[in-house]
Amino acid sequence: MSDEIIDVGTFDPHFCDEIAAEPGGEHIRRCFSCSTCTAGCPVAGATDKYNPRRIIHMALLGMREQVLRSDFVWLCSVCYTCYERCPQDVRIPELMNGIRNIAVREGYIPRAFRLQVEKLRAHGRLYEIEDYENERRAEYGLPPIREDAEEVGWIMDRMGVKGEGG
Amino acid sequence: MMDVGRHPNIELMAYSEVEDVSGYVGNFRVRVRRKARYVDEQECTACGDCVPVCPIVKPDEFQAGLSTRRAIYIPFPQAVPSAYIINIDECLGDNPIACGKCQEACDKKCIDFDMQGETVELSVGAIIVATGMDVYDPTPLDEYGYTSYENVITSLEFERLISAGGPTEGHFVRPSDRKRARRIGFVQCVGSRTAHTAANPDGQRGNPYCSNICCMNTIKDSLLLKDHYPDTEITVFYMDIRAFGKGFEDLYMRSREMGVRYIRGLPGEVEEEPETGDLRVYVENTTTGVLEIHDFDLLVLSVGAVPRRETELVRQLLNLSRTGDGFLMEAHPKLKPVDAPTRGVYIAGCAESPKDIKDSVTQASAAAARAEILLSAPSIRVEAITAVVDPDLCKKCGRCAPVCPFSAIIWEKGRAAQVVAAACAGCGTCAAECPFDAITMRHFTDQQIYAMVDAILEEDPLEKLVIFACNWCSYAGADTAGTSRFQYPPNGRIIRTMCSGRVRPDFVWHAFQKGAPVVLVSGCHYADCHYINANRNTVRRVDGLWEGLEKYGVRPERLQLEWCSAAEGQRWARIMQEIEKLRATVTAEEVEQTRELLKGKKVPTSSKVWRIKEPTGAVMRCLRCGNEWEVVFDLAADEERMCGACRSNSVRVILKLESGNS
Repeated sequence: MSDEIIDVGTFDPHFCDEIAAEPGGEHIRRCFSCSTCTAGCPVAGATDKYNPRRIIHMALLGMREQVLRSDFVWLCSVCYTCYERCPQDVRIPELMNGIRNIAVREGYIPRAFRLQVEKLRAHGRLYEIEDYENERRAEYGLPPIREDAEEVGWIMDRMGVKGEGG
Repeated sequence: MMDVGRHPNIELMAYSEVEDVSGYVGNFRVRVRRKARYVDEQECTACGDCVPVCPIVKPDEFQAGLSTRRAIYIPFPQAVPSAYIINIDECLGDNPIACGKCQEACDKKCIDFDMQGETVELSVGAIIVATGMDVYDPTPLDEYGYTSYENVITSLEFERLISAGGPTEGHFVRPSDRKRARRIGFVQCVGSRTAHTAANPDGQRGNPYCSNICCMNTIKDSLLLKDHYPDTEITVFYMDIRAFGKGFEDLYMRSREMGVRYIRGLPGEVEEEPETGDLRVYVENTTTGVLEIHDFDLLVLSVGAVPRRETELVRQLLNLSRTGDGFLMEAHPKLKPVDAPTRGVYIAGCAESPKDIKDSVTQASAAAARAEILLSAPSIRVEAITAVVDPDLCKKCGRCAPVCPFSAIIWEKGRAAQVVAAACAGCGTCAAECPFDAITMRHFTDQQIYAMVDAILEEDPLEKLVIFACNWCSYAGADTAGTSRFQYPPNGRIIRTMCSGRVRPDFVWHAFQKGAPVVLVSGCHYADCHYINANRNTVRRVDGLWEGLEKYGVRPERLQLEWCSAAEGQRWARIMQEIEKLRATVTAEEVEQTRELLKGKKVPTSSKVWRIKEPTGAVMRCLRCGNEWEVVFDLAADEERMCGACRSNSVRVILKLESGNS
């Protein structure tokens, strides 16, 4: 990873309990580090920033700050390959969701996600619909799409989702 | 094997099937069907003249399908008796138009198409079960590509490829182009140590246990390869190398010294290069945390061991138990490792658990010695705790015979039941089942137990917990709780029975009529009964009692059911505390009311015997915490019934759903 020296005294030994109490994170302690997840992971193949085995190992060691503040937990694409293959049934995509939930509660959300929320609130979907898209749709005889930001905004308010700065 | 075939005191019955076993220790009667070989095994000299003329070509099972055999064949070169055999399902027959060529080719005229199978009755004193194991089929593990790529093989296929008696006569080549493989990878724990088992709805990707033999097999294979072809590059992918036996660590070290690479991490993906047939393996080396790519000519999947499916038939014939992983269960894991729970039956080899040759030989020697002890004794001693039928009281209904886990009760329609004392293990489920009190359980008679219930409830019945505990697990669990100094309420009064299956519904009814606030029935864990499966009857009877209590307006949760093993002292203490909490909710008025309600009411007997073949769903309710949930289960299987919320076993089926309904 890097050459920095880590102070073990800053580790939180209860971090894995915290994750185990989170829906999806129940099986974290089952991991015996066989690395089946990482070896088959499409994201890990693309970037060495993401390594599910290392994340679980860090969490088990209690590296709370490092895990929550990192952006690597947000890289999981939830393809469920590791879920299928994990011999210990650790349910890694759901575990990552669990860790993300803790990170959100602690206020660690990567900027990209905040911007996506902004976009969702503004347009009701993750992509802005402009005349160009609807013209193309009309060419193929498809009905135009209209933006429905109001309803989505209403749902987001009810769910307590806030965008950047919120 | 040749020694066995030649030994004057051993009669070998190859190509035969056990059809029925009756009788008891020292006096078993075994019916064996000797299947027709269609070749006279005394006359056949195994000259092999019949083979080249046979037109039928089939994959050879012994060579793992890597070579072929004919419909007339010898299963493997060392097979005993050394005589040919015709697989009649594959053979075209002796009709001269169809075939019959082998008959013409045989000089000694020992091929007889009219040969019939015969049934043989044997009288034997002891039976040793050594039915072996199978290997895991890695088809569900699609990331290794076993079904897609020719050069991905199992360790068993590897064994055939490197064997001098194998299809390549020991020239080690890979399947796709028959060239020598120079770069070979081994993947460990294929089908072992996984949580994705058959019980898991996501599918069967193996078994939860460690298969014991695969690590050493791979190490042996790597040394064999290095001996034959020192320039071979070998890489082993593993999660833990378990080299625990005598000399095993030395072998492992030697393998490392000879240049075999051991990489900690299991491959996640295997890809084939279509032109060359080479394999590319993606793996994370967990010691460095780096994602690595390895190229191989051949990949060997070190497959785990699984129980043989055919063993299930033998198991049912002999009344044996099996553990959760499907292997046969011994009578005691430490003190009776080769005895089956049924007396006179012994287990050896991989039928009991996966093990290597040395352990199999050790266990087989032990089983033979145990059987010899039995056979050389003029008479055997049995425990005095056995059941006795009073022929005058017996109404010849025959309800006792099917509940006996040891088949120790002989009953024919119109005849009084009879207990075979030598086969009776003394659990007492028959005595609890008999509606006419015709069976006396020596040392645990009905009168004794009623007297104990009466004595418990004589003074301050409202303060007492009436507990029925089985001798082997729950009573011992209470002992463990005591010797470990666990604190629990002191007002529990334990009535010891040999098995929870001894608890007659009348005892519980009697206790409630005498003013018991709560009653607990406790036994060994559901699939772990000391008397094979006698505690299944306990569940059936308690189910009936719950129904009866509810019908007459008594809270069914006042009768509790628990499983507690001898080692679970802490669990016993916790159960006691929870039962005490429950008792505190029962008032004097309620007890009085119960006595009124149950006065003169018939004891509910649950005559229904579970015989549900199709898996059905059910809605279950925990009688401790009130939790309700739906399960899909097969009551005929060893289904552990436990509440997920409070881990109580007082779980009631409140609604049965037809299959497909859930």
